[in-house]
Amino acid sequence: MNTMAQTYRYIGKATPRRDGVRVVTGGALFVDDLDFDNLLYGKVLRSPHPHAIIKKIDSGRAQRLDGIKAVLTWKNIPDWKFGNPRIFRLLDRKVRYTGDAVALVAGESAEIADEASRLIEVDYEVLPAVFDDYEALRPGAPRLYDELPGNVLPPGDPFLGPTPLTQIVAGDVEKGLLEADFIVEGKCGYDNIPNPMPIESPRAVALWEEAGAGRDRVTVWVSNQAPYLMKLILSSIFGGRVEVRVIGGPCGGSFGSKIMSWRPICFAVALSKTTRRPVKVVYSKEEHLAAFVLRPASRLDIKVGMKRDGTVTAIAGDWLIGTGSHSQTTQAQVAVGCGEAMIAVRCKNWNVKPTIVCTNRAPSGIVRGFGGQELKCALFPILSRCMAELEIDPVDFIKKNFVKPGEGYLWRDGRWYDYRGIDFSQMMDKGAEVFGWKGKWKGWLKPTAVEGSKRTGVGVGVHGNADIGEDVSEAYVRLDGDGRALVYSCLAEHGTGQKNNAVKAAAEVLQIPLESVSITPGDTMITPFEFGPFGSRGTYAILTAVIKAAEEARKKLFELAAPLLGSDVSDLDTADGVIWVKANPEKRIRWQRVLFQRTILGHGRFEPDYSLSNCLMTFVEMEVDADTGKIGLLRVVNATDVGRIIDPQGLRGQLNGCLGTAGIDSAIFEETIVDPSTGRMLNANMIDYKWRTSCDLPPIENVVLETPFPTHRFHAAGVGEITTSAGPSAVLMAASNAVGVWLDSYPVTPDKVLKAVRNQELRIKKNEDISPL
Amino acid sequence: MKTFLHYDAHSIEDALSLLCRHRDRARLNAGGTDLLGLLKDMVLPRYPDLIVNIKTIPGLDYIEEDSERLRIGALTKLADLARSPSLSKSYSAISEAARAVAGPQIRNIATIGGNLCQDVRCWYYRYPAHIGGRMDCARKGQGPCFAVKGDNRYHAVIGAGKCFAVCPSDLAVVLAALDGCMTIVSRRGERRVAVGDFFGPLANALEADEMVKEIDVPRTSTSRIQTFLKFTLREPIDFAIVSVACAIELTEKVCSDARIIIGAVAPGPFRARQAEEVLIGREINEAAATQAAQAALEGAKPLAKNAYKIDIAKALVKRAVLKNNSPVV
Amino acid sequence: MTEETIESQRAAGYNEKIDLVVNARHYVLNIGYGPGEVDPAHTLSFTLRDTLGLKGVKVSCDRGACGACTVLLDGKAVPSCMLLTIECGGKEITTIEGLRDEKTGSLDPVQQSFIDHGVFQCGFCTPGMIMSAKALLDENPSPTHEEIREALSGNFCRCISHYQAVEAVSALSSRGR
Repeated sequence: MNTMAQTYRYIGKATPRRDGVRVVTGGALFVDDLDFDNLLYGKVLRSPHPHAIIKKIDSGRAQRLDGIKAVLTWKNIPDWKFGNPRIFRLLDRKVRYTGDAVALVAGESAEIADEASRLIEVDYEVLPAVFDDYEALRPGAPRLYDELPGNVLPPGDPFLGPTPLTQIVAGDVEKGLLEADFIVEGKCGYDNIPNPMPIESPRAVALWEEAGAGRDRVTVWVSNQAPYLMKLILSSIFGGRVEVRVIGGPCGGSFGSKIMSWRPICFAVALSKTTRRPVKVVYSKEEHLAAFVLRPASRLDIKVGMKRDGTVTAIAGDWLIGTGSHSQTTQAQVAVGCGEAMIAVRCKNWNVKPTIVCTNRAPSGIVRGFGGQELKCALFPILSRCMAELEIDPVDFIKKNFVKPGEGYLWRDGRWYDYRGIDFSQMMDKGAEVFGWKGKWKGWLKPTAVEGSKRTGVGVGVHGNADIGEDVSEAYVRLDGDGRALVYSCLAEHGTGQKNNAVKAAAEVLQIPLESVSITPGDTMITPFEFGPFGSRGTYAILTAVIKAAEEARKKLFELAAPLLGSDVSDLDTADGVIWVKANPEKRIRWQRVLFQRTILGHGRFEPDYSLSNCLMTFVEMEVDADTGKIGLLRVVNATDVGRIIDPQGLRGQLNGCLGTAGIDSAIFEETIVDPSTGRMLNANMIDYKWRTSCDLPPIENVVLETPFPTHRFHAAGVGEITTSAGPSAVLMAASNAVGVWLDSYPVTPDKVLKAVRNQELRIKKNEDISPL
Repeated sequence: MKTFLHYDAHSIEDALSLLCRHRDRARLNAGGTDLLGLLKDMVLPRYPDLIVNIKTIPGLDYIEEDSERLRIGALTKLADLARSPSLSKSYSAISEAARAVAGPQIRNIATIGGNLCQDVRCWYYRYPAHIGGRMDCARKGQGPCFAVKGDNRYHAVIGAGKCFAVCPSDLAVVLAALDGCMTIVSRRGERRVAVGDFFGPLANALEADEMVKEIDVPRTSTSRIQTFLKFTLREPIDFAIVSVACAIELTEKVCSDARIIIGAVAPGPFRARQAEEVLIGREINEAAATQAAQAALEGAKPLAKNAYKIDIAKALVKRAVLKNNSPVV
Repeated sequence: MTEETIESQRAAGYNEKIDLVVNARHYVLNIGYGPGEVDPAHTLSFTLRDTLGLKGVKVSCDRGACGACTVLLDGKAVPSCMLLTIECGGKEITTIEGLRDEKTGSLDPVQQSFIDHGVFQCGFCTPGMIMSAKALLDENPSPTHEEIREALSGNFCRCISHYQAVEAVSALSSRGR
């Protein structure tokens, strides 16, 4: 990694995670590790059918089983609804995918609850089901919801504001196509639906209590990265009479997905509401994979016009997004995805129309890449066809077309933003140089090298997201008489080291030892609002709130110290718990004296700013075995510019994370496999769902530039979320180049490679046959 | 996991008498890495009432060689096979196959007997009951083979009828190539079954009252050139998509005998006799290997999604035949 | 399971108690179906977590594929979710809680190296991965990079901290010194 001259005390330096000792000794307590008195265990009975009406449900035998405290079905569960539109019930009379919840059981042990769930007798009226997104749009296709004619979800997420982005429309597409030197009409799908599959499955503990005065209080211990947002979601589900407290401890990975835990959480809450005892619901890994949320499927059917110099003159067509049985955030993902396409590809004339469709598959939810990865992975292979025809080097194309100062894009709220971030061209050059692109790139559909059956090829992808400054963060910083500071921020550690970074930022502003700064648990009863570490907003948005809170606390401290030092606030400075007059450092006072029997509270708030984007470019070199169809990563180079590195170890972790969590490997072997006739998910286990092991790790190099982002106190911006997003289409490009035939279906499994190789051999043979020689 | 009774067997006789009494209501447990998965997912048509632990039987964990044969106790762990110096020297394919199984933690508890007796990995057969109920299929005694019309990318391309699940055992492929035999015991007596004959279309040859005691391989195998190749998407964890084991006898550079076994393409280790015939009497070279590969799965009838396995099998056969067959300098 | 069948089974020679040595402490647990007893169907991971309270043992896939529940059984790394507790009688078990020096509180070198090299992100896989690394180093004090990768290959880490894990273990390999 490149580093600039160090001018900070902590920022940019490797600081061991403060939870390190707990993590390595097994002392980090995740939700399932917490002790509760009187705990009950909740289990879910799941549907054998992809689409059916529950005609009759008899839970009598289950209820009579010793140790069973509650059985809930659609008949007696609170009618809590969620989703966009708000039509998805916790338990419904209808089941909409194999594995959909039918009934809930709470028992004294997990085994008893399990046994009871098997005693529930259900009569189903089986309905025709539809699993394919296109099929679901056909007239006469099985309809999932009365409220959704044609299985189409209404566009736009009201959460994003009054005019949410629902499509990309700009300029004049017809005119743009006329200006093009080449037009390609293409289809491509990123529809293999990889699973982010955090190691810890969804889980929660809930306790419902009477809070007096006719009010109820529910406390929920969750495993996700955004307790405060979870509180808002739950409050909207339960209604105003219920006080919701959410406590977030260590979270065993989320990658976006676990903020969509409202269903497992509400299962625990409903069972606790019935039993008035704490109830724990822990999904098995099979439930996690088959009956939680997945990445939405994406299918693009578009026309692209391009000029010889790489100018994109028009992009127009349809974007079909399969959201499975339901979704809460798909419309928002579409909005962000549309904006991200505009950030990555400069084009004056757009007309891309998204349609979100429901099918009888497991629901989709939030996954790292949030709409943009879904769209981009389908868009780049189509752009590649154009580039190939015009013999444009994809690195040149990306460099030319990624957003630059003075340009702009539509963002999720439907508004146009003039981009005021940095120019990433230098970083792109540096990445290409480190990778050795010039030497390895031999042209489209041309291998870099061939040795026997082994062929190598290279590919490149890019991603940028204007989410680094999205949504609101708030924090308090409290200064205490003992010279310590406490950061109040609703963060749950989910792997990025965000809590560490909040502490670091406060220590940097206050110039006190890291050991003198503490941070609250992510408990909504204690902290102010925090949207949570979504996208890459941790550095720019969350830290800014902490920084501002620390600055305000520092200012208040100076206001108290100034009269004691006979000086103006603006003349003071502080470090290590001592305040002094800058012009006369002999005049000094300790914090303790200023804060005798007193605390100071600084408040910081970050307001959204969508005019900035991050950027990551991923270069891959692949090896393809033409005889067996096996593909492998030989090397990965990531290039990014983060303004200023906050935490080198955390950054490295995020960048190396480009492989898994439905990232690069979603082009290699990650996919959700559903039986075409029963709709059952066949690889809902960790043997058949493929994930990268330590034996299969390619060399990774991360090129990190530090071009200051002027608008951040430490000139930094986050990049964590997008590290998975640039790689998948790069893999397709590299594999196509290695084989010499377009491969445009994810993931590139051996069967597809072998088919492509055979086609190519046939083509060559045909050409030889008609050759005049 | 639903509960059961549990008994530690202290002798083979002990285990056999329980099996004899409880028949299919009892299950033997060795390493447990397969059985526990079946129990947790409630896959078996009949959930056992009794689990008989056979790890407590002394004297079934050994690797012994004499002038006639190599003998491996059924409870020998895969990790021990993988790192046994004597195996690496004379029966290298066995240690390679053992090393290719699952991951290191599993190899520390899984046994060779269990590896041979493990149930199939067909994702229809193994579908977990708690996600909407077990899938009753031909292998469970009722229903169709869902793989025929379903996603059959990992299923059999040859030799399957009612059930298209493939034999998941890596050791079986190698042991079949090395002419290995299993000693199976019951209160009715002892019988020997060739590893290659152990696997049937719907179940293995083990009766409800029987257990595997020992696996043996003739000493003659040591003079053969042994190769094992396993094709997977990832190096560890995965079961084979296709595997190939070869044992080739060379007499003055000419192949005098060959055993070519292809794994994960059929209900059992598939013996590619046509490929063997191509090689016998010839020098091993590129042309012979290519021809053998072409012949290896002749007659295969792939399903809709698994024809690629034939290509992979051919490539692997060719590579296996040529590997280790470069003249010794 | 009725009391009667249990009694008759006990009379027929079935085990009544099980001895375990966990983190150098000796436990005698009753076989049975009540609280604090070991049901024959209990996995070792369940017993360690729920009966003995050793919550550092993590369970993820519960099918032996992810390594989160790795503990040492007589010194070897094993998936505790795929072992029946009742079959572990007389065995010595070490969990992540047993690595730290009880008297001095000092961390095991593997634990310290994981902190120093920033190996974990979410940290859920960490205990299992450390146990695999520990088993490797106990058996082979000078592993190569390849051997380290192999030894950790059964440990799922979705955050991809394997690169740092290999470095952390490598730093302890006498080969590197």
